[in-house]
Amino acid sequence: MEDFKLDVLDTLPKQFLHKAEKFGDQNVAMRQKELGIWQEYTWQESHVQVRNLCLGLVSLGLERGDRVAIVGDNDRQHLWADLAIMATGAITVGMFTDAIPSEMEYVITHSESIFVFAKDQEQCDKLFEIKNKIPLVKAVIYWDPRGMWSYDDPWLMSYEQVQERGEKLHQENSDLYQRLVADGNGDDLCNLCYTSGTTGLPKGAMLSHMNFLSAIEATARIEPRFATDNQVSFTPLAWIAEHTLSVTPHCMIGVIVNFPESPETVQQNIREISPDLIFYPARLWENLTALIQIRINDSTWINRALYNLFLPIGYKVADLDYEGKPVGLATKFLYWLGEVLVFKPLRGQLGLDRARFALTAGAALSRDMMRYFRALGLNLMQVFSSTETAAVGTQHYRGDVKYASVGKPPPTIEVRITEEGEIWLGGPNIFHGYYKDPEKTEEALSVDENGVRWFHTGDAGYIDDDEHLIYLDRVKDMIELASGDRFSPQFIEGRLKFSPYIRDVMAIGNADVEYVSALISIDFQNVGRWAEKNRIPYTTFVDLSQKPEIYQLVSEAIRNVNETLPEGGQVKKFVLLHKEFDADEAEMTRTRKLRRGYLTDRYQDMINAIYTGEKAITVSAAVQYQDGREGVIETPVRIMSMEEMKAL
Amino acid sequence: MPENSPQLHVENIHLSFGGTKALTDVSFDALNGEILAIIGPNGAGKTSLLNCINNFYKPDRGSISFEGIDITHLPAHKIPQLGISRTFQNIALYTGLSTVDNLMAARHIHMRQSMWSSMFYWFGAIKEEVENRKIVEEIIDFLEIEHIRKATVGALPYGLRKRVELGRALALEPKLLLLDEPMTGMNVEEKEDMARFILDIHELQGTTIVLIEHDMGLVMDIAERVVVLDFGIHIAEGSPDQIRNDPAVIKAYLGEGS
Repeated sequence: MEDFKLDVLDTLPKQFLHKAEKFGDQNVAMRQKELGIWQEYTWQESHVQVRNLCLGLVSLGLERGDRVAIVGDNDRQHLWADLAIMATGAITVGMFTDAIPSEMEYVITHSESIFVFAKDQEQCDKLFEIKNKIPLVKAVIYWDPRGMWSYDDPWLMSYEQVQERGEKLHQENSDLYQRLVADGNGDDLCNLCYTSGTTGLPKGAMLSHMNFLSAIEATARIEPRFATDNQVSFTPLAWIAEHTLSVTPHCMIGVIVNFPESPETVQQNIREISPDLIFYPARLWENLTALIQIRINDSTWINRALYNLFLPIGYKVADLDYEGKPVGLATKFLYWLGEVLVFKPLRGQLGLDRARFALTAGAALSRDMMRYFRALGLNLMQVFSSTETAAVGTQHYRGDVKYASVGKPPPTIEVRITEEGEIWLGGPNIFHGYYKDPEKTEEALSVDENGVRWFHTGDAGYIDDDEHLIYLDRVKDMIELASGDRFSPQFIEGRLKFSPYIRDVMAIGNADVEYVSALISIDFQNVGRWAEKNRIPYTTFVDLSQKPEIYQLVSEAIRNVNETLPEGGQVKKFVLLHKEFDADEAEMTRTRKLRRGYLTDRYQDMINAIYTGEKAITVSAAVQYQDGREGVIETPVRIMSMEEMKAL
Repeated sequence: MPENSPQLHVENIHLSFGGTKALTDVSFDALNGEILAIIGPNGAGKTSLLNCINNFYKPDRGSISFEGIDITHLPAHKIPQLGISRTFQNIALYTGLSTVDNLMAARHIHMRQSMWSSMFYWFGAIKEEVENRKIVEEIIDFLEIEHIRKATVGALPYGLRKRVELGRALALEPKLLLLDEPMTGMNVEEKEDMARFILDIHELQGTTIVLIEHDMGLVMDIAERVVVLDFGIHIAEGSPDQIRNDPAVIKAYLGEGS
C-alpha cells in the first residue's frame, strides 16, 4: 500500500503541493475538453494557477477559517478555486448550479461566506438578485466572461483580476504561499457540505482535511488508485462524492482529473477518456441497461446474435464468480471469446472498458441489475455512505460481493448496530457536526471513550453471518413487532416487487402480532404467461391467483427476500389477493403508492384471519365497475404460511 | 465604420409578383452596430424585404446599398463576401451533414487554397483547414452545441437546428446578420437562449443585426429600433416605446376601430 505520509502531509493543500513538486512539468494533472480538443495542464501549471488565486484571495482579505462559496459546472477553474480556498486556510462551501436564488441566499447567509465564486452570467445574475440580502459577501468572482462584458459593478471581479493580485503578492513575498499551506492543520475544517435532507432546511456538514484524507486512505486499502488513473469529473463538485472520487485522490495520489466539455457532453467525454473508476448513482445504472437494450436492438443482426449467444455465458461466469466457485476451462475459453467479441466492445461504447471497478450508491440496485453488469465483465460494487462520512462507509470488496448487502467497512472504519437497529459508522472520516446546529449535531454525532467519532446514520440495518452490512430502511420507518423484532415494510415490498410475478405488496405487522405477513397482488400478465407456458389452465384473475402452483411460484420470490432478512423480520404468511390494488377504489394513490391506513381497514377481516391461524377466508369485496355501478364479489382466498410451502 | 452611421441603406424599393404588390416604396436604414427589428402582420412583406437585401429577389425599382456600395444588382452569391449573412424562416441546412461540416461549408469564402492542394491535403490546405476549424469550434463553443458537434443535422430537434443555422451564418463572419424568424416554433426557454445568443453576438462582435420576429415581447426587449410594414408599406419606424404607442401600428395589428 502506498504511504500517504498523513502524519506530515495532513491537509489537502499540503498533499497537492507535494504532488506538484513531485510531478512538476512531467505529469498531466488535469484535462479539459475545449474547442473539441482535450487541453492538458501539467502539475506545475495547475500549481501556479492555485498559488496565484490563493494569494489573490489573501490580498483581498481572506483569512484562515473564513468561508467562501462556489457555484459552477465542473471545470478546472472550479477545482483550482476549491484548492486555492483551502490553501488560504479558508473553508469551501459548495452550491449546486441549479440552486434557486433563495437557496443560495440561505447557504451563503448561514455559512457567512465572504466571497462567492460564480462561474458565469447565469450564476452571477442569481447573486445580483439577492445582493442586498447577502451583505457579508465582499466580492463575486466569475471565471467565464461570456455575457459579462457589459456588467459594471465593483462587487464583481474576474478570476484573472484576482490572480493578477496574487501574482503581484507572490513577487513581493515569494514564500507566502508555502507558509500558508504549511500553517494548515489536519483537523482544520476545509469544507462545509450542505445536505438537502428530505425535510427541513439544509444542514452544513463540517468536514476536515483529515476526514477526506483518511477516507481515501481507507478505500485505497481495498481498491488502490494510481497516479496514472484517469477520472472524469461529472458529479457536481458541490456534492461530497466528487471530493472522494476526484478532488482528494487528485491531491493524495495524483489521479488525473478530466473535465467534460459541457454538461451535455458528459457521456461522450466519458467514452473518450474511459476512466479507471466509474461511479453512477443507482438510477443511472438502471438507465444504462435500458440504453444498452435499445442499442442492441438497433444494431446489426450479427451484433444481436453474438450478444444473445454470449450473454448467457457471461451470466454463468458471473454466477460462478459470485458463488466463489471455479470456472471450468471450456467456459473460461467461451467467456474469453465473448469478452473479445461482445463484452469489451460493448463496454467500450459506454466508456467502461478500462474501469477496474465501478460503484453504485443511493437506492439499492436490484439483484438482476448487479448480475447483468457483472455478466458484461464490469466489476460493479455497492457503496453505503453519506456526506457525514466523507462519502466513504461500507463497500463491496473485490471477490466478496453480495447482491443484497452494501458491503463491509474498510479496516479503519467501524460499523455498529444499536439496540434500536440503527447503523452507526465510526472512524477518522466521520464529520465534526453540523455548522451552527448543536441540536442536529447532538442527534447525529457522538464521540466514544476512545475519542472515535460515530455518525448515527438514521438508517436501519443489520450485519449478516458473512459480516456484510444489510441496509433496510430509515429507522423512523421501521415497525416493531410484539416479539421486539423490527422490520421495514418498504424494504420487503420493494424487494418483493423486483419479482416479475408480483405487482403490488403490502407488508403487515405491528406491535400486536408476532410476525410479518404480506398481502400480494400478482402481476396478471406475467403470471398468466407463466401459467400458459407451464400448461396451467385458468379463467379469471381470481381463479389464477388461487392456483396452488402460483402460490408456489410467489413463495419462491418470498423465500429469496427472506434470505436477506434477519430471522425475526421475515415474511411468515402471505395471501394472494383476488384482485389488484386499485386507485379507482382509493386503495392506492394515482402515483401507485399504497394507502396503508385505508387498506388496513378494508382488509381487516383478512388480516385477523391470518393472525388467528385460519387457512382461508371468504372475501366479499365491494367493487366499483368502470361504468360506475357497484357490485359485490364473493370468493375464498387461501392463507398460506411459508413453512407449509416449504413442506410442499 | 463609425457607430450610428447607416450601414445598410434601402431606398424606395418596389417589388411585385405579377399583379400583387409585395413591397411599395419601402425605405429604411440599418445603422452600424444596431439591432433592428422588422415587424408586421402576416403577409406584410418582411421576408420579401430580406430576400431583396441579399438579392434572392430583384426589386422592380429602388436601390439597396451596403457600406456605400450599391448591391442592388449584385448576384446573390456575391453578397456573403461583402459581409452579409442570413438565416432562413424554414431552416436551410445540409441535412445529411454533421454540424461541424455545415459550419465548415460556410467557411469556404474564407478559404484560398486551390482545388488540387485541397484534394491532396497538402501543407497549405492542412493549415487552412485547422485555422478554419478553430473558428468553427469557437462558434460551437459560443452557441453551446458541443454535444451535437458530430451529429447529423437532419436528425436534430428543431430548436437545435435553428441554432446550427445561426452558427453557419456566424461562420461567414458577417458585418450584417439577417435573421428571419429565429425563434419561431421554439418554447420559452429556447427563445430566451436564442435571445441571449443574439444579444451576445451583438455585444461581443458589434455585428449589425436585422431580424424579423413575431414574438412582440421579445422584439421589444432586444431591438433598439423597429420598422413596421403592413401590406408592403412602411408604416412606422422608431424605438420600441414609440412603436408600441403608434396609432398606425395598433391599427395594423388590431384592425379598424381599435
